[in-house]
Amino acid sequence: MSNIEIRDLVKRYGTVEALHAINIKIEPGEFAVLVGPSGCGKSTTLRMVAGLETISGGEIVIGDRVVNGLRPKERGIAMVFQNYALYPSKTVYQNMAFSLKLSRVPKDVIDQKVRAVAEILELTELLERKPGALSGGQRQRVAMGRAIVRDPKVFLFDEPLSNLDAKLRGQMRVEIKRLHQRLKNTIIYVTHDQVEAMTLADRIVVMRDGHIEQQGTPDEIFHDPASEFVAGFMGSPAMNLVKATAGADAITIGDTSIPWALPASISNGDTLTFGLRPEDIRPAIDASEVSTRLTVTLELIEQLGTEKLIYFTVGGHSFVGKAEGRADLRVGQSIEVAFDMVHAYGFSPNSGARLR
Amino acid sequence: MAMEAQGQGPNFSTRGASLFQAIRDNSAGATPYLFLLPCLVILGALLGVPLYKVVEYSLFDNVIIKPDPIFVGLDNYSNLLSDSGFWSALLNTGIFTIGSVLGHLVVGMSLAMMVNADIHPRARTIFRSLLILPWIFTAAVVALNWQLLLNPFGVINYWLGAAGIINEPLDWLGDANLAMWSLLLISTWRGYPFIMVSFLSGLQSVPRELYEAAEIDGANFFHKFWHVTVPQLKPVIYGVVLLDLIWTFQLFPLVWLTTGGGPGRVTEVLSTLTYRLAFVDFQFSQAATAAVSILVISAAFTILYLRNETRNK
Amino acid sequence: MSKKLIKAMAVAAIAMIPVQSFAQTKIEWLQWFAAEAGADTYNSLVSEFEAANPDIKIELVNQPFGKVRESIVTDHAIGISADVLGLNMPWTKEFLDIGILAPLDDYLGKADNGFSKDQLVQAPIGEIDGHTWMVPLTAFPFVLHTNMTLVKEAGFEHPPTNWDELKEYATAISKLGDGISGIGLPFSSQPPANGPILTLLPLLYAHGGHSMNGTTPDFDNPAVVETLQLLNDLNASGAAAPGAASRTGGVDVEEFVAGRTGFLISPAAHSANVRERGADFEYAMTRVPGDVNAYRVHGFELGISANSKHKDEAWKFISFLLGKQANAKVAHASASLPGNLEALADFNTDGDEVLAKQMDILSNDTPVEELRQAPKATASWSIMTEEIQAMLAGNQTPEATAAAVQARWLELIK
Repeated sequence: MSNIEIRDLVKRYGTVEALHAINIKIEPGEFAVLVGPSGCGKSTTLRMVAGLETISGGEIVIGDRVVNGLRPKERGIAMVFQNYALYPSKTVYQNMAFSLKLSRVPKDVIDQKVRAVAEILELTELLERKPGALSGGQRQRVAMGRAIVRDPKVFLFDEPLSNLDAKLRGQMRVEIKRLHQRLKNTIIYVTHDQVEAMTLADRIVVMRDGHIEQQGTPDEIFHDPASEFVAGFMGSPAMNLVKATAGADAITIGDTSIPWALPASISNGDTLTFGLRPEDIRPAIDASEVSTRLTVTLELIEQLGTEKLIYFTVGGHSFVGKAEGRADLRVGQSIEVAFDMVHAYGFSPNSGARLR
Repeated sequence: MAMEAQGQGPNFSTRGASLFQAIRDNSAGATPYLFLLPCLVILGALLGVPLYKVVEYSLFDNVIIKPDPIFVGLDNYSNLLSDSGFWSALLNTGIFTIGSVLGHLVVGMSLAMMVNADIHPRARTIFRSLLILPWIFTAAVVALNWQLLLNPFGVINYWLGAAGIINEPLDWLGDANLAMWSLLLISTWRGYPFIMVSFLSGLQSVPRELYEAAEIDGANFFHKFWHVTVPQLKPVIYGVVLLDLIWTFQLFPLVWLTTGGGPGRVTEVLSTLTYRLAFVDFQFSQAATAAVSILVISAAFTILYLRNETRNK
Repeated sequence: MSKKLIKAMAVAAIAMIPVQSFAQTKIEWLQWFAAEAGADTYNSLVSEFEAANPDIKIELVNQPFGKVRESIVTDHAIGISADVLGLNMPWTKEFLDIGILAPLDDYLGKADNGFSKDQLVQAPIGEIDGHTWMVPLTAFPFVLHTNMTLVKEAGFEHPPTNWDELKEYATAISKLGDGISGIGLPFSSQPPANGPILTLLPLLYAHGGHSMNGTTPDFDNPAVVETLQLLNDLNASGAAAPGAASRTGGVDVEEFVAGRTGFLISPAAHSANVRERGADFEYAMTRVPGDVNAYRVHGFELGISANSKHKDEAWKFISFLLGKQANAKVAHASASLPGNLEALADFNTDGDEVLAKQMDILSNDTPVEELRQAPKATASWSIMTEEIQAMLAGNQTPEATAAAVQARWLELIK
């Protein structure tokens, strides 16, 4: 268990700067998830922590050591790769034992550790197999086993679930979470999947174009996004984001005016991006709280089972809302929907920054 | 996947017998063999006949020289096996072959890894092209160039002298203690590109993540080489080494044109012995016998190679 | 097969007939002479002969020297021998054992030959097994080629005339440094491994010695040992270029032409190399140093295949080549002397000192030729080469060397 501190981390490829002074502080035992679209720099950051990429500027501290000049094996880390990177010619046992063998750990100790970890990961039956004879999920567990056996201070996961199908991904997510609860290691986990980020993380770091958009707990990230980008990236379906103009205690979307207690930094007449999550738009009959009601025509309905997504237009802009899975709704039907404006957000149309 | 391959290919041993039957019946199955026929005839004429002749010659009293050679059974073979010159040539062939193949492996693999490194693509292309050059020269050119380089007044002696490593020029190809080493040097230089090229394509197919995983597991350069590179290249290594063994084992021109088997007979290999028996001593039957010994050993390597190929399919 | 195809083949077959239907005899002449120098001369001689004999067509087959011996043997074995063969005297005994050559006695006795037998250089026409097997196209002595520039630099005035001078001069030239050596000893194992006959025999003959007794090897006699001792001395004193065991005859000539050795013992014909290549040193040719005026004689010889179906025509061509005029042309082209000494009348030295010196040696000194009768000559050179290599490496004395060669040679011909 170690804390990790990343200070003003910069990565340059030639003259192109790919990472712009990243700062992240991860507490011992914390599960940190770096999330963002591809090319945002999350993997590069992770690989620099691992020691697989050179550091162009700044410092990385693991425990109380600056590890900039250290080789990967000296950093006390273990890494799980996207494609597992298991040694194809070695058995599961040999794959897991390899790092211990290299550090000249006595054979009986290796055996004890490998078997213990195999037990945790339910790999005992597979120890003598080679990776070629394993399923995707089994390979994934071997890759994790290989990391765990080393008893590292820090685990690094590089999109470990992206090669699995949806169902398996869900199962493995739970296994990883359980593992973390049990081992309590510090973890940095890279993914582009916001669901993984939300479900696994103690701390989410949302990255975009080589800088950090926002970091915080999943609650903070989801419910208090610092920017239009974070608001749009986290959550599925994505937050409704539309252009609007501020009025007096109201905003106007196209020809529709909706009452809203404007945040302090928005004045009458400002243009802004208005955001409201689909969860906060419901058929009026389901809405219990005091909310703004609008009559709309349903254009499209997606049945998800427990709920239905309803699509409609307000003031020339498309909106998505949610209804009960059993709600009796039809396309073309005119219904009253409730906008829960207490949870509405405003963002600067230029910088995307949250207007509070 | 070997079983698939066996299932797909025409099985000559059983179907070959029915070839003419099939053609006579004009069944659809005969057509592929008709297309093969010209090829089979040419191969038969170019390979089968000489092969048969050599074996036949080896069973006769001195052919070519004598107008009416007589059948002597295995006499030539017992002569050969009781000739100390044959055994020393066999030993030299072994040393030359294994030494050359090891040289090819070490140099070829090292260079393959070097030119596989992450450097500027244009520089990499240039290096790759340059390093393949030894391959495209004919043996005669290689021999001539190395004779000049290794001459007592040649560049190599000059450098070694200038560097203070040797006091007086060495006769690399004429000194009984150095000639085999010099020959191995030449053979290594000439033959490494084949290994390099074969390995290069193998190296390019090794996933980068494996090296990174090994690095994180604490592997140094040699660990990575041994635990990642070698296992990944294993199928390539085995096939390539066998091919190289087959080729080097019967290599003639490079030896004949650099040392001629000398000084004395310290670099005499089976192929030069065969040539010497035939065209210096005019003992053509004995030469044919020596040639058959090369054939037998090469055939053994070839069978190993073919089995490996089928297994890899 | 379709009818069309059969027709086409028939037409093709007919088209090929006229070539053969001429009442013309084609004979092949396999040799290496044209490949070495004067290809044009040989072509024009062939044209000249064909013009005079429209019923005979000569096909000139040019091969490098190293290939010809093999070709003659293999062609004979397959039964496709050339009619006229270019020959090298050391091959004679080997070829007779296989039965490659036809005896020439009857032809030599013919009245209408273009030359007279007693005017030929005698060595090649001496009888073996009671017959003559070859006639001389050209002849040249083995001589000492000298780089006078180096000799003078080393402080001497003339080419060496005896062994002591040879040793002294060569040692002095080696001391000039800069990679320059007194003399080369070409004892590489590389084929044809003929260093012994290039260097050892000419010195042996100039010493009044011999290596054969009739047709029996006689290599362990005192003269041979003394000659081996000379080679050993030249090598040990540093007079000889280092690397004898990897030095081929070809390299030896090249090194001399390049001005890097003071002396070269080789056929006189190599003077042409020195002059053609415009070597920038003062050149001199003299007899091989020693105590008797005897030289190893060498030349281009001609013979007829025992298998030839056109022996008469082949002889007609040979007779033409030995005629005064043709023979003089060949001799000129190869910087050597004519095999028919009568041609010397047409042989104008034009004040050429080098040719004059050759003629002087040829007409005044004693020719020695042993190899024509030497059994397994080519294989014996390999033996000599290997044993001399061992001697020069310091592994055995000249006496032991001579004895070892003698023993192995006798074993070889048993």
